[in-house]
Amino acid sequence: MFFHIVLERNMQLHPRHFGRNLRENLVSKLMKDVEGTCSGRHGFVVAITGIENVGKGLIRDGTGFVTFPVKYQCVVFRPFKGEVLEAVVTMVNKMGFFAEAGPVQIFVSNHLIPDDMEFQSGDMPNYTTSDGSIQKDSEVRLKIIGTRVDATEIFCIGTIKDDFLGVINDPTTA
Amino acid sequence: MSEKGGKGFSLPTKTTPKSALKSTPASATARHDDNSAKSKRGRKVQFGMEGLPNLGFNFSSPKSDGKFAIPVGKGDWAKGGKGEKVVNGGKAPVAKEAKSLELRVEQELPENVKCLMDCEAANILEGIQEQMVMLSQDSTIKLPESFHLGLQYAKTRSYYTNPQSVRRVLEALSKYGVSYSEICVIANTCPETVDEVFALVRSLEAKKSRLSEPLKDVLDELGKLKKST
Repeated sequence: MFFHIVLERNMQLHPRHFGRNLRENLVSKLMKDVEGTCSGRHGFVVAITGIENVGKGLIRDGTGFVTFPVKYQCVVFRPFKGEVLEAVVTMVNKMGFFAEAGPVQIFVSNHLIPDDMEFQSGDMPNYTTSDGSIQKDSEVRLKIIGTRVDATEIFCIGTIKDDFLGVINDPTTA
Repeated sequence: MSEKGGKGFSLPTKTTPKSALKSTPASATARHDDNSAKSKRGRKVQFGMEGLPNLGFNFSSPKSDGKFAIPVGKGDWAKGGKGEKVVNGGKAPVAKEAKSLELRVEQELPENVKCLMDCEAANILEGIQEQMVMLSQDSTIKLPESFHLGLQYAKTRSYYTNPQSVRRVLEALSKYGVSYSEICVIANTCPETVDEVFALVRSLEAKKSRLSEPLKDVLDELGKLKKST
């Protein structure tokens, strides 16, 4: 889910950016460095919403770089274990299916798909039951049961084997 | 955070090869085989300390509550090699299956974090996108891929016309002990029945008797606030 959080970062600025536009340069460097990144603790930094505070710069010995501690507010997206969310299916195979919710990839193994859903291969591989089918571009509601964080992305494992989970919107019938 | 190399240890002396340290590890399954040998409830556990060649210590576990709690001070735990936190967090070993799937946002994030519903997030991100259109003369500032994915996701998940009224309606639940993150999950999933809420947010099941009536009213109100499409 989305969160609004205050984070802090030490930004190093090259002397060529000093001058009248120091603060603007600092903020644009912060945006370039931070937006789009991902950390295990906070999740994806989707966007910076504001700068709370820029501390005093500290000149580093030996180089002319200056380090500024910057506190900024941002919107982050982080999936949590136990969270229920709706995702769009991107790929289906006999091991399960992959879905995306925002910047996060989720995999649902066939062990966590209800037994009455059968895999059908073909041009459009899908899992089908009498209620509907899960194929590429279907919307499914799933529950996250585990997360893993890489350097640049978060990957989750989900399940649809619980009540009120499963396909919401079947593109074939829409 | 734990530290390597024995700093911050509250052991009486570093020269004794073993010193008994009372602590309360849970029935912890070893995450790192090189560090924790076999930890079982009520048994003595020996930790090999790679960073401290002469030091090993035993501790017994009189109590276990599913978490690795150490009375001497959680931060003062030197663990050889990896220097990772042994106490709780996402590495908490044996938790009950149902409990491990409950939402634990508040425990894992610092306190100043505000949960956003998808509709609120959509508003904020749309505002930022409009600003970026104005700033786009500077071609070096580009919105990252995750921004577009996040914005698209939030927009497709906003079912409500007015996020503020949704928040007001759901805040009525907070006096029954429903946490902020649980409120956000309820808003994001847009449930239609009370049973659906309890199925999706398992952590509320404990308060089922108290919550059923207020939840029903809240869901009726939310139904009125939904977009017509």
